[in-house]
Amino acid sequence: MSQNATDPVESFRNLVTEFERGFDTLANRFMGTDEFSQAMNQLQSMQLSMQKAFNDAMANHLANFNMPSREDVLRLGESMRVVEQRLARIEELLLEKTPYSAVSRPGGPPRTRLPPSQQGKRQGNPK
Amino acid sequence: MTEKVSQSGMIDRTQNMIERAIRRNIKGLKYLTASPVKVGLTPKELIYERGTLRLYHYLPIATELYRVPVLLVMATTNRAYVFDLAPGQSMVEYLLKQGFDVYVIDWEPPTAEERNLTLADYTQEFIPACVRQVRQNCGEPDISIVGYCMGGVLSLIYAASHTDGPLKNIACLTTPVDWTKMGLTSIWADEEHFNVDKLVDTLGIIPQDFIQSSFEMLRPASRTAGKIRMWEQMWNDDFVKSYRAFERWGNETLPLAGEYFRDTIRELMWNNKLFKGELVLRGKTAKLSDITIPVFHAIAEHDHIVAYGASKPLLELVGSEDKSEIVLKGGHVSLIAGPNAVGRMWPRLSNWLGERST
Repeated sequence: MSQNATDPVESFRNLVTEFERGFDTLANRFMGTDEFSQAMNQLQSMQLSMQKAFNDAMANHLANFNMPSREDVLRLGESMRVVEQRLARIEELLLEKTPYSAVSRPGGPPRTRLPPSQQGKRQGNPK
Repeated sequence: MTEKVSQSGMIDRTQNMIERAIRRNIKGLKYLTASPVKVGLTPKELIYERGTLRLYHYLPIATELYRVPVLLVMATTNRAYVFDLAPGQSMVEYLLKQGFDVYVIDWEPPTAEERNLTLADYTQEFIPACVRQVRQNCGEPDISIVGYCMGGVLSLIYAASHTDGPLKNIACLTTPVDWTKMGLTSIWADEEHFNVDKLVDTLGIIPQDFIQSSFEMLRPASRTAGKIRMWEQMWNDDFVKSYRAFERWGNETLPLAGEYFRDTIRELMWNNKLFKGELVLRGKTAKLSDITIPVFHAIAEHDHIVAYGASKPLLELVGSEDKSEIVLKGGHVSLIAGPNAVGRMWPRLSNWLGERST
């Protein structure tokens, strides 16, 4: 104990821990207020409004140039995803019809391990 | 006599400090030029992928396996290699050595085309598809699920809405169920101030830096304090290696599909529907009281992301008779990869699953 008290490294570690705790507690108290939450979300809302205005302006320009916007390209990608999703569902329906043992891999370790409470009862139990 | 001992102790400590200072400087240079630390080294194979979803199978190590395979479900905000950080610091490696056949659901960043993925897609499409794949892959009809954080929430919703399914056991690691008790997150996402619709409608995908800064704001001094600690421990190779693995994991937060984020905020956080038993997805009600299979829950007492009060009520809510809980001193991440995990949580989980996996 007395050694720790004179150990500068230990004191430094304690100092860092105390700084962390103190700062976090103080910050959490401040950030846990309604006012902080409101201000943070207002700021975010402003940024989003700006981004939306920019996105809309860009989409208008692209439409004027007769070019697809990001939204158009994304919709195309989404349609592809829907097709993939349907294929996956069909695949899974087929999989459900296949008996498990038919596709299970041969040659793996045996699935005969006993529960921990019973393992001692079996002689020469492999670990 | 005492004075002499005290003097010699003082000399030893000074020598030790000087040695460490020299090693710190030498290793500090190495640290600055080092390539990213390698993580997730346990051999595995990809057996199924679908958009953002990846299902891996770890190659068994033990010569004799438990009959029932284990499917780990990772939170959608982070990479699953936290289950397999480094040899000796890997829950996957531990479970494999104990004789489990281990599968893991990992997530890639959702692409812009996947912005419309919903909570129902994750719980009624992705998890059931993975469960089917695991059953086919190993040839066993039953399966145990272990979900971490939001992965636990998804697993619970799946279990509650598929009560006639093949699930034999479910283990949740620091999983929130009462979303009104999520501390600062509940305050920041308060319905009165937080316009989730505007966020999702404008961005489509919730960016990685939004998610990461939300986590970091919960403990704003942690990053700086962590760096200082790492500098002080620079002479200690094991500490630096572990720190770098955790740091890499923390920096590799994932973006989220917008609709899924909207569902999480509206259904779970604002309306607390999972807690109240009112969550309905694709016509199926996910009532926790309908879960009757064995349930294990590990809670971190000092979890700053999923507050203790948010995860604590789980066992009261499920309908199971066979249920266990372990409360550990650590935080959100140390619960699955810290010293407490290695010494207490993994053995408890393995033992619990082992008794129910034949």
